[in-house]
Amino acid sequence: MSQSHETKAADKKPGAAFFDHFDRHAHGKGLKGGTTHYCPGCGHGLAHKFLAEALVELGVEDRTVMISPVGCAVFLFYYFDTGNTQAAHGRAPAVALGHKLANPNSIVVSYQGDGDLAAIGLAEIMHAAQLGIPISVIFINNAIYGMTGGQMAPTTLPGQWSATTPEGRGPMQGQPMHVSEVIAKLDGASYVERCALYDQRERKRCKAAIKKALQLQVEGRGFGFVEILAECPTHWHMTSLESELHVKNVMAKEYPLGLIKDVTREPWFSPAKPTFDVERVLDVLETERDTVERFCQKFPEHLDPLDVSIKLAGSGGDGAQTAAMLVTRTAICEGYDSTHIPSYGPESRGGTSYADVHIAKSEVLSPAAPHPHVLVAFNAPSLDKFAGDVRPGGMVIYDASVIAKAPKVAEGVRVHAVPMSAIAQRLGNVVVKSVVALGALQQAAQVLDERSFLGELRRSLSHKAGMIPVNEEAFKAGVQAVRTPA
Amino acid sequence: MSRERPPVLVTEALCKGCGRCIEACPKKAMTLGSDINQTSGLTPIHIDYNLCNSCGLCVVACPEPYGLGAEVYDLEDPRHLYGEQARSKRPANVAPRKIPLPKVEPMVLKGNYASAIGAILAGCRHVYGYPITPSTEGAELMAKLLPKLDGVFLQACSEVATVNHMYGCAAAGLPVMTFTSGPGFSLMLEGISYFIGAELPGVFVDVMRPGPGLGYIGPEQSDIKLACRGLGHGNTHAIVLAPTSPQEMLDLTIEAFTLTYKYRNPVVIAADGYLGQITGRVTLPDHLIEPGLPDWAVWGDAAHKSNLISSIFQDWSELEKHNEKICAKYRVMEEHEQRSTGYQLDGATTLVVACNTPARMAKAAVERLRREGRPVGLFQPLTLWPFPIKALLTELVHANRIVVVEASDGQLEDELRLALHHARGPDVDIRHLRHMGGILPTDQEIYQIARSCTEVAQ
Repeated sequence: MSQSHETKAADKKPGAAFFDHFDRHAHGKGLKGGTTHYCPGCGHGLAHKFLAEALVELGVEDRTVMISPVGCAVFLFYYFDTGNTQAAHGRAPAVALGHKLANPNSIVVSYQGDGDLAAIGLAEIMHAAQLGIPISVIFINNAIYGMTGGQMAPTTLPGQWSATTPEGRGPMQGQPMHVSEVIAKLDGASYVERCALYDQRERKRCKAAIKKALQLQVEGRGFGFVEILAECPTHWHMTSLESELHVKNVMAKEYPLGLIKDVTREPWFSPAKPTFDVERVLDVLETERDTVERFCQKFPEHLDPLDVSIKLAGSGGDGAQTAAMLVTRTAICEGYDSTHIPSYGPESRGGTSYADVHIAKSEVLSPAAPHPHVLVAFNAPSLDKFAGDVRPGGMVIYDASVIAKAPKVAEGVRVHAVPMSAIAQRLGNVVVKSVVALGALQQAAQVLDERSFLGELRRSLSHKAGMIPVNEEAFKAGVQAVRTPA
Repeated sequence: MSRERPPVLVTEALCKGCGRCIEACPKKAMTLGSDINQTSGLTPIHIDYNLCNSCGLCVVACPEPYGLGAEVYDLEDPRHLYGEQARSKRPANVAPRKIPLPKVEPMVLKGNYASAIGAILAGCRHVYGYPITPSTEGAELMAKLLPKLDGVFLQACSEVATVNHMYGCAAAGLPVMTFTSGPGFSLMLEGISYFIGAELPGVFVDVMRPGPGLGYIGPEQSDIKLACRGLGHGNTHAIVLAPTSPQEMLDLTIEAFTLTYKYRNPVVIAADGYLGQITGRVTLPDHLIEPGLPDWAVWGDAAHKSNLISSIFQDWSELEKHNEKICAKYRVMEEHEQRSTGYQLDGATTLVVACNTPARMAKAAVERLRREGRPVGLFQPLTLWPFPIKALLTELVHANRIVVVEASDGQLEDELRLALHHARGPDVDIRHLRHMGGILPTDQEIYQIARSCTEVAQ
């Protein structure tokens, strides 16, 4: 007996990436420790074997991760002495990509049947193929659902009996799907071949195809797809031998065997390892390493003892959100709590857009501003809509260049008409009208400090330094317009 | 024999008698047997050694790994009796590493961005996602930042693909997360059930928006039921965290990664549309995390080769045991992970219960009521599942009225009532203020209903 062990160990290479004993198959009890769960004559066993041999021949079995599908091959992990992950129905290629991108050095194989891959999982396989990241897909096409008991698959042949096509697959059940041909049309797929198992020549070709798909992955070249026409004697109601002949004489007519696509790509897939370097992380996050100078002497208690709310409103593109964000950033730099909430909507521009801003001495409670202390309005509809909501003692600032009529406001609300657009135009850049508005807001309401706004403008524009002067000018012009109204 | 090829031997108990070797044999040495094997109950193949020249083509054609070969597979081999798995050594567990961060100025971040940055600081370098308002900024920021950190952002073809990309990454042992919203979260539920069944960690940020169906994109809290009671099929639960501000979006995202690895169970961050979109002050933590590699990971190397990530159990009693194991984790979570916070709870006879953005409005209302001398406090669950019932019961010693404020048709209230019932809590007058469709309860409304409670009490 010890001699036979030695023989076996010596035989290991070349051998197959199978467990010596299938412990996971019903705890390896009795026969199950040495045999597969497949029916007699099933094509899966051969596909497993060729795959297991190819992995060893390429010397990659230790770093291989097999993704088992839902279907008869769900128990792939009973047999393969590799890493194993079992996936949800149809999602094996998505799971495979998760593995491959987590560890680019792993060799990931998505092994799927025709229901799994061609029905429920069509989106995943198409996108995995189109993405082209080097993984290997083994597609077992036996034109029927095995595990659930012989129902129609997308690849079921015209006229073929199945439990859900009891009269044979007819025109109402659609046409057989030629998956490999579709995959081959996708630019991401490097290699696509269809094989069979019915005779020695085809078996040899099948093994070589599996090995080639794996090789492409090992070399980081591309996505490999091998379709295998496999026998299902049980659900075809045939003997093993009849099944082989059925593949040869019937299935292979519908699904022609052979190479469908082979585009050699240079090795390209070699992602770097993720970094956790503190300096790099802080740089990438664009954190502010230097202490920002503060200018505010005290909270704007003349507006509210604890929490000042501001609404900025205009039409999309007016810059209400930009200005609101600048107020929030400036307030936070000054050590206050501040929030900005946009009236967000679908990505269609041109509608009304408003932003609610709060500046709080310690904490912003309710972030909405239904009754703001200050309203900045960039267009007439916004002014009409919100001017009446401004609370007594508050103020309204509006773009007098585009709004002719002064708003109706509650008693005690001050109104500042500022020709924001005209000022911006004079400065040669209409976009800066939101910054003109900021200057006007600061001068009229004394919310923070001019210097803190100017500092934040410079920080925000550090990536487009050329824009700093015109923005500074715009801010100052806004201040001036309120200080000495036209 | 003449060419020194080993003879082909059949292991009769393992031969299913399919006869694929018959077609393969050029010498016609193989025939279907006639003797039923007493172990398998099947009829193994017969080899005529007078014809066989040991070419081995039959071995290539045999679908069984150990059916035909150079030796007979020995079912009695002691190696097989004790099993290969029992002998395989577990790989080392590589723990995550804390790396100190220098102090930096507070950042000004949108809630979605804050959560993304939290994930980066928690060591997540793999993010999968599908654009959906109002969560999309999370994916967008990851798409911008992760490549600069040699990480991966992949825009999946759907939320179904997203959760399964995540499943693969999690199975490989690495931190992974996504951002989504109601309709997308619905699509991810099957995958989340697989995560739970296979005991995988993953963080799901659901920026809740109004439904049903397409609904719209405002803030709502109507995925609470899904997150707390409906994480796909099977006996599923996950810790559900409910942040209130961009700061909490960051803090709770970091916390979510700790919890998801601690329990090998997904964690859901239930935010609302406002919270995704609101910008506020965010202070970074004093360290970042470099993830380790858990011993159970299917990493794809020799050390981790014997690992398996799967949620299928053929044996019913084993599946029951697996369920019991998972449910035992839920009990531990219920015991140890209840989190809540409060405001002005001292001596409160009326409790406003709210989470997410409505908790901010509620805080403003409570502030105002307290200024008027009314004994109202805010009880704010930070975990929606497990519901922080222990802390609530403490408050119910002095409080006898609850007003549940939420942006859904009572989904938070249901969690509260269930928890109260299970805990055999006191009889308490529960009222509510609800809005839906993107409308949030205002502080004025909360003020009024809570005030009326104190008037009844007086």
